[in-house]
Amino acid sequence: MVYFINDIITGALIGLLYSLVAMGFVVIYRASKVFNFAQGELVIIGGFIVWFTTMQAGLSLWLSIPLSLVLAGLVGYAIERIFLTKLIGESVFSMVMVTVGLLILLRGLVLLVFGPAVRPFPIIFPLKPLFLGDMLIPMNLLIGGIITIVAAVGLSWFFNRTRSGLRMTAVAEDHVVASSMGISVKGSIAFAWVLGAILSTIGAMIFLSGKSLTFLASDIGFAALPVALFAGLESIGGLILAGVIIGIVQSLTTNYLDPLIGGSLGSVVPYIIMLAILLIRPTGLFGWRTIERV
Amino acid sequence: MTYQSNRGLRGFLAAAALAAAATMPLKAQAEETYNLALLSDFSGPYADIMPILAGGREAVFTWWNETRGKELGVTLNYKNYETRYDAAQVASLWPGIKSELDPIAVVGLGGPDVAALSERLPEDKIPMFMATAAYGFAWQPDAWIFNPRPTYSHESVGFLNWMREQRGGDEPLKVAILASEASPAYVDMAKGIELYAEEHPEEIDLVEVIYTEVQPTDLTGQMRRVVRAGAEVLVIQTNTSIVVAAKRGLQANGANIPIMMSSHNGLPASGGALGGLEQMEGDFEAYGMAIAADEDTPARQFYETLVADYGLEAPWNVVTAMGVSQGLYTVTVIDHAIEANGAEGLTGEMVREALFAKPITTEETHGFLPTLSFTPEAPFPLEGLKVNVGTVKDGKITIAATGVDVPQVEKW
Repeated sequence: MVYFINDIITGALIGLLYSLVAMGFVVIYRASKVFNFAQGELVIIGGFIVWFTTMQAGLSLWLSIPLSLVLAGLVGYAIERIFLTKLIGESVFSMVMVTVGLLILLRGLVLLVFGPAVRPFPIIFPLKPLFLGDMLIPMNLLIGGIITIVAAVGLSWFFNRTRSGLRMTAVAEDHVVASSMGISVKGSIAFAWVLGAILSTIGAMIFLSGKSLTFLASDIGFAALPVALFAGLESIGGLILAGVIIGIVQSLTTNYLDPLIGGSLGSVVPYIIMLAILLIRPTGLFGWRTIERV
Repeated sequence: MTYQSNRGLRGFLAAAALAAAATMPLKAQAEETYNLALLSDFSGPYADIMPILAGGREAVFTWWNETRGKELGVTLNYKNYETRYDAAQVASLWPGIKSELDPIAVVGLGGPDVAALSERLPEDKIPMFMATAAYGFAWQPDAWIFNPRPTYSHESVGFLNWMREQRGGDEPLKVAILASEASPAYVDMAKGIELYAEEHPEEIDLVEVIYTEVQPTDLTGQMRRVVRAGAEVLVIQTNTSIVVAAKRGLQANGANIPIMMSSHNGLPASGGALGGLEQMEGDFEAYGMAIAADEDTPARQFYETLVADYGLEAPWNVVTAMGVSQGLYTVTVIDHAIEANGAEGLTGEMVREALFAKPITTEETHGFLPTLSFTPEAPFPLEGLKVNVGTVKDGKITIAATGVDVPQVEKW
């Protein structure tokens, strides 16, 4: 029974990591209605920035972490300025296609700049797990879970209770209308990309702490996709619940069903949940239902 | 017969001999050029090791061209094709490769090449020579794709039996496998061991078979299962990221179960990804090829020759050894084909026949590979299979065992 509870806790924490990466999707979507297919690539860009500042530049973690977050924010800002700002007012579809192009470009850039070698990622969170009796909780996931909840509460408040957040939501509704109301569309979208890149970098630190870094790490973007769709692409608070549910189901499947079937159903089950949700409730658990009056 | 006529005959014979002698070297010197297509992954999952592996095999082709090739009047040209380790990419590239190069052999990399070309190469009558161990799903008679090593499962089982002997006692060795469904080859590696364990419960007790992603989020829970099951060794033949995640999972559980890796994710690669070889102390790599350890072996000496005289820049490690051994058995087979058929008009079919006609001795591959006797029954030698075992001792890779017998593994 202890192990069963432990598997539930670990699963919930892994789910919260997915929620953090998915938060990058949602923040950008909330501000621009653009689904960023390159979210996983932002995670590896963030990962490589952290690796560079610690392992290459030799900075202490206290210096390298804030510096990495600033640099990641600058990368997000640069991406928006170079690739997306000219598309403001154009169809959302063209912006989404740009993110598909970004996915390929960023992957290629990582290979070109950093090379293909597998690199040791710095140990940011203690490797020693937390022991609660017979239960064992990985420290990086535990701290990551707390960070995710704090980030979700903060961002929910920002988007729903502050003038700037509400402005960003207005931008997502319609660029032209928002612009005519005096809202800086460019500023809102740029801020969303900065925020998305910073969240991805925090996700990279939790995900990769003490492990290895390659461009394969971008796969976590796909793992986070079911969480974002399950929650609904507009809901930041909903990501917590969606992530916890998906993480627990995945963990129980991995630990109890996979040994029986001799396969990896645990890797697939989040996508099964995602497809089921898209069939039953296309807007996700907490997504906005848009009513169009004709 | 008069003196005059004798002199005339002698003159005629001398002239004929001179003419023959003159034409023979001319014929040998008349340069024949053949092409090799090299399938490579410089931007996919094995991009990290590809430049090293490619360096190894290309240095061998340079060495052969400048030594044996000159004697035989043959030059082997080669060209790398980027496949991204993707079967669809290989399949789409192949018609272009064939028409551009008309190769007498393909030098392949891994599972996607096998999956994409196993139906095409028999039709095109071009053999492919791999560097890796073989795959159970490609274990068919009349193959056109060949591996110098047995299947990964053969190599694992050879190692596991050696480990059981080292441990002593009559109990079967408790083994866990960490695999991935990301590639059919990874699944195949696990399936072969599973079958062997099923048929030999007195030797191997398979306590856990775990499948994960190629970049796992966290394996602490999975490693706890492995520890609880009492595993004495953990087999990981997938990639370095999984080895690193497993190691961290074991450390989190306070366990130190030795990990057995293969050549493509071996001790130097996984140690590097973990931050240092010393973290792999007591872990193993096992494969049917020379171990790139510090000891002075014929393989090491040949590597030094390639570095000194043929521009090899790759470090002395298992990946370089893989590239060099692949290059060596490829050129040896071509050498045998030239011996049997002459330098002119060599075809892929002749190269394949030469592979079956004569064993490739360990001397011909400078000790990189054991003596290989291929037969039409399988894409790899079925007899005389051996594995070598490397380990990390005091932070250095050392040879733990050489020439370990591989038991008979049934086809799965």
